[in-house]
Amino acid sequence: MRTTLRLGLLGVSAVALLVAAVSLGPTQLLDLPRLIELMRSGPATPELERARLVLWELRLPRVLLAAAAGINLALGGLLLQAIFRNPLAEPYLLGLSSGGALGAVLALAAGATVVTWPALAGSLLVASVVLLLCRKRIAADLPSLLLVGVALGALAQAFTTAIILRFDPGALRSILFWLMGSFAGRGWAEVWILVPAALLGVVLVFVIHRPLDLIALGGESAHHLGVRVRLLQTGGIALAAVLAAFTVAACGTIGFVGLMAPHMARRLAGAPHGASIPATALLGAMLTVGADLAARTVLAGTELPVGVITGAFGCVFFLALLAKRP
Amino acid sequence: MTANCSGAETDQRPSPGTATLQVRGIRAGYKEDDVLHGIDFELHTGEVLGVVGPNGCGKSTLLRAVTGLIPLRQGEVTIGGERLGNLSATQRARRCAVQPQIEAPLFDYTVRQFVLLGRHPHRGALAPATKEDRAAAERALAETDLTNFGARSIRSLSTGEWQRALLARALAQETPVLLLDEPAAHLDPGHRFAVHVLLRRMARERQRAIVCVSHDLNLAAEFCDRLMMMSDGRVHALGTPEEVVTPENLQAVFRCGALRVTPNPFTGRPGTVFAP
Repeated sequence: MRTTLRLGLLGVSAVALLVAAVSLGPTQLLDLPRLIELMRSGPATPELERARLVLWELRLPRVLLAAAAGINLALGGLLLQAIFRNPLAEPYLLGLSSGGALGAVLALAAGATVVTWPALAGSLLVASVVLLLCRKRIAADLPSLLLVGVALGALAQAFTTAIILRFDPGALRSILFWLMGSFAGRGWAEVWILVPAALLGVVLVFVIHRPLDLIALGGESAHHLGVRVRLLQTGGIALAAVLAAFTVAACGTIGFVGLMAPHMARRLAGAPHGASIPATALLGAMLTVGADLAARTVLAGTELPVGVITGAFGCVFFLALLAKRP
Repeated sequence: MTANCSGAETDQRPSPGTATLQVRGIRAGYKEDDVLHGIDFELHTGEVLGVVGPNGCGKSTLLRAVTGLIPLRQGEVTIGGERLGNLSATQRARRCAVQPQIEAPLFDYTVRQFVLLGRHPHRGALAPATKEDRAAAERALAETDLTNFGARSIRSLSTGEWQRALLARALAQETPVLLLDEPAAHLDPGHRFAVHVLLRRMARERQRAIVCVSHDLNLAAEFCDRLMMMSDGRVHALGTPEEVVTPENLQAVFRCGALRVTPNPFTGRPGTVFAP
C-alpha cells in the first residue's frame, strides 16, 4: 500500500512539473488562469491568439517530447541494468545513443531528412556488438561491459565528428546543438513518433517485469525459474536500442537520464520491477522535463543544450554510485 | 528449519517410489571438451540422493545439463515422465527447482520479495501474488529460519543467510524435484544440520525427490538415502551410504590417504575422519 501511495504522489508531482514546464518560459508566462482561459472558446483577441500559439506550437510539443524522451531513456537504462546485472548500464554509457547519432549524421550527410531509421540501424548495430561481446564472456563482468560501451561510443563519436566537420558552418552549428540534446524547435511530427514509442515501451517493459526481476538476480537461476534467458536478453537489449534510437533521432544524445531514473525509482518504490517500472518512467519524464525547463530558463536570453544539464547532474550521480558500490 | 536436534525420528529408508527424474547416458560440456562422459541415474519420489566427488568432477555441470542450462550432447533426461526437450521453460520450472551456487545479489529486494519470486512459474505475467503464493513464500521463509529476515534487504545478509534465502526461493517453487548445489556450503554447524533435517523431512513428508550436491561426506552419508560418487565426469559408485563410503572408493576418487572411514558412533552410518 505504501508503494501505491508513493507511486501516486510521484504521479501527481510529475503532472505538476509538466504543467509548470508548460507555464514557464522566456517568451510568455502561461499561468493557470491563462491556461484555463485558453481552453475556453471566446472572442479571440490578438494577444490570446499569440498565447495560444505559444502553448500549442512551442510549449506543449516541447514538454511532451521531453517527457517521452525521458521515459524512453529511463526504460532503456532499467532494461540494460537488469539484463546486464550492472547498476551502471544505460543507453548513453553503453554507446547505444552514440551509435544512433552516427546513423543519423550519416543519413544527414547523404541528404536524408528523416533520420529515425538510420539512427535505429546505428543503435542496433552497437547493441548487437555489446550483446555479442557479452555472450562471448569478453564483457561479462561489471567494469569491462562499461569499457566496451565507452569504446564503441568513442568510436561512433569519432566518426560522427569526422562527418559533421564536412557540413557548412550554419548546418554544423545546428547539428552540434542537436547532438548535445535539445528539445528546442521540434514540433508535433516528433511528438507523434516519440510519445507512442514511450507508451508502448512502458507497456512492453511492464509485461516482462518479473522476468526482469529474475534475470537481475542471476542468469542461471532465472533459467531455473522458467525465464527464457537468451530471448529476454536479446529482446530487452533490442528494445532499449529502439527506444534510444527514436529518442536520438528526435532530440539528440541526452546522457545519464537512463542511469539516474531507475536508481531513484528503486529508492522510492522498491526493487521489484512491478513498482519500479512506473516509477522509472515518471522519474525519467520529470528529469528531462526539469532539465529542459532549466535549459531554457537558467540563462536569460539564451538556451543551453539539455544534454549539458543532464550531463552535469549525471556525472555527479555516476561518481556517487561508484563510491557507494561495495 | 527450527533446528530439530533430535533429528533421528525418520531414519527408516523409504520404499522406492516412482522414478521422477531419469538421466540416461548423458554427455555434456563446454567448448569442445565433454565434462560429463555418460551419466546414468534415477531419482525416486521421497528420496534424497547425495552427489559427492572431488572438485571439478562435474557435479555442478550435471545439474546444469539436467535442467537444460547447457545442451545435452548425448543421452536424455526425463522429468516426471516427460523428456526435457519437450517441456516448455515454465513447465520445466513447475517440475524442477534448483538452488544454484551463490550468486551476488543485485538491488535491494527484501528477503520476502526475493522468496516470492520463486512463485514465478506458477503465476501469469501480470497476475498479482495469490494467497497460495504468499503462503508458500512464508512457509519457505519459516523452513529456512528466515521469517524474521523477511523485511531485510538481500544485500544486508551474511553469506549463510543469503544461501538460506536462495534455498527458500527454491522451496517456494514447490516442485516435485529439487536440485541443490551445496545448500550447506556457507552455513554454521547448526544451520547445516537443520538444512539436512529439512531436506529429509521434505522428501519423507511431501514426497519430494531431492538431489543434493555436497562436499560434506559425513552429513551426506547421514542424511541421504543414496549417494552417487562422481569422478572425472563419470559415476564411480551409486548406492546406499554404506556401499559408497568405503575406503576403496575414497582412495580411488579423492586420492587422500589420510581420509579414513569410521562409523558414526551414535547412528552407525558411515563417516569419514582425517588421520594425518
